[in-house]
Amino acid sequence: MLFNFREKLNSSKFLVTAEVSPPKGTNFSVSLEDARQLKGIADAINVTDNQCSIMHMSSLAFSKLLLDEGHEPIMQLTCRDRNRIGLQSDLLGAYALGIRNICLMTGDFPSCGDHPGSKPVYDLDSVQFLQLVRKLDSGIDFAGNELDGGTSFCTGAVSGIDPEKTLQLIKLEKKAKCGADFIQTQAVYDVGMFEEFMESISHLEVPVIAGLIPLKSLGMAEYMNKNISGINVPEEIMIQMKDASNPIEEGLFIASETIKELTKLSRGIHVMPIGSHKNTPRLLSMAGISGK
Amino acid sequence: MIITSAKPFEEILSLLKNEDDIFVIGCNVCAAKLKTGGEPEVIEMCRRLEESGKHVVGWTLPTAACSIRSFESLVEKNEKINDTSCILVMGCGSGVSSVANVAEVPVYGSNDTLSLGGSSGGKLLSQQCVMCGNCTISEYGGLCPKSQCPKGLLNGPCGGAVNGMCEVNRENNCVWSLIYERLKKIKRLDLLYVVHAPQEHGFK
Repeated sequence: MLFNFREKLNSSKFLVTAEVSPPKGTNFSVSLEDARQLKGIADAINVTDNQCSIMHMSSLAFSKLLLDEGHEPIMQLTCRDRNRIGLQSDLLGAYALGIRNICLMTGDFPSCGDHPGSKPVYDLDSVQFLQLVRKLDSGIDFAGNELDGGTSFCTGAVSGIDPEKTLQLIKLEKKAKCGADFIQTQAVYDVGMFEEFMESISHLEVPVIAGLIPLKSLGMAEYMNKNISGINVPEEIMIQMKDASNPIEEGLFIASETIKELTKLSRGIHVMPIGSHKNTPRLLSMAGISGK
Repeated sequence: MIITSAKPFEEILSLLKNEDDIFVIGCNVCAAKLKTGGEPEVIEMCRRLEESGKHVVGWTLPTAACSIRSFESLVEKNEKINDTSCILVMGCGSGVSSVANVAEVPVYGSNDTLSLGGSSGGKLLSQQCVMCGNCTISEYGGLCPKSQCPKGLLNGPCGGAVNGMCEVNRENNCVWSLIYERLKKIKRLDLLYVVHAPQEHGFK
């Protein structure tokens, strides 16, 4: 029997993770309710860290709330808001509270969010951040001081999926080299592109969890193609969305077909709905994924 | 070159609201090149201050406002500085502090200091160096990601660039795209695979 996310990652089970945002405020009931919809179907829940630089409750606090509810959280942590002291102290705190999975990323620039004038930190980049975690895992801090109790995190990192983007691939290679336990990708719409991406990184031997954002409208697809780095909704899907009488249902259908393809190509999927997880259980059952 | 931009005149007037007698000091290096503190700008500043009811005691244009030997050296250039109750420096932040270091009266700055930039191939370049005290620019083909990437990323781009343009300002090139092109040109793409340690931020 498999118990935790790390064990599942090391097994052959096709993994399902999903993203939940902490609340904007102290009332966490709506966010917890969203997470409850994933019970029994998601292997772990990614907790965003002030996503899009919009200030929310900390990912650490909400990860602990999820843990108390019996979920397995993957705490996201960005380099944007904390220097190496802050990052390490939060990681030690998270580990002491029972959080075992983390996912590290650079973080959007503050000017993208609701506190555009705040000071961007970026003391470390995502590659150096991975090195930092590996040090904590070995029982010493980033400066080499011995810890009274180290960590043992299952640590993910993120990547785009365009095989043409050499710089992104080189960075991914550095992340793998610095000890990433899994890679979580940008949303996949073009399965052919994802397949090429997987071929181009096959030498890295790091499990890849493919990102998924179900489309809700043609406008959403157009917006993402234009503004979100690494997202490429192919023409064929644009036409499907344009012709759909019920775009939300069509988006779910397209996503479920994508998942079916991804089960052959990736170690799992990571569902990031815009809005709530109301449709996630149905999406997974449409894709033929039964859950845990 | 230190890149400066002139503050709006109204803001300068508001800084000087409690001052009647003003001595103006320009800077004949960076600020002169950028037209934020050369002779024509100093003369224009004096005119506008007078027009706004201030008394301009005098002005001078040292070679560099950031390189002031002593207060006496300013007196040698224009002894009227002895009669002023304040000084307005039209240079960068370093120019203002250098003058303040030798002056007994309040010192004000008329510019905002933006970055250490340069001028190359007829183009003004901003933000070329952050003066980190630990130069690794050679490892990036002569383009510094510490200064030109808003996130200062040392191991490759973030995921935010779209078509080679920066996430933070879509009008700017992602410096990592430029570094890639540059390293390709000089046949040193191997440098992209180096894992760089973080910048050490000790007090300099």
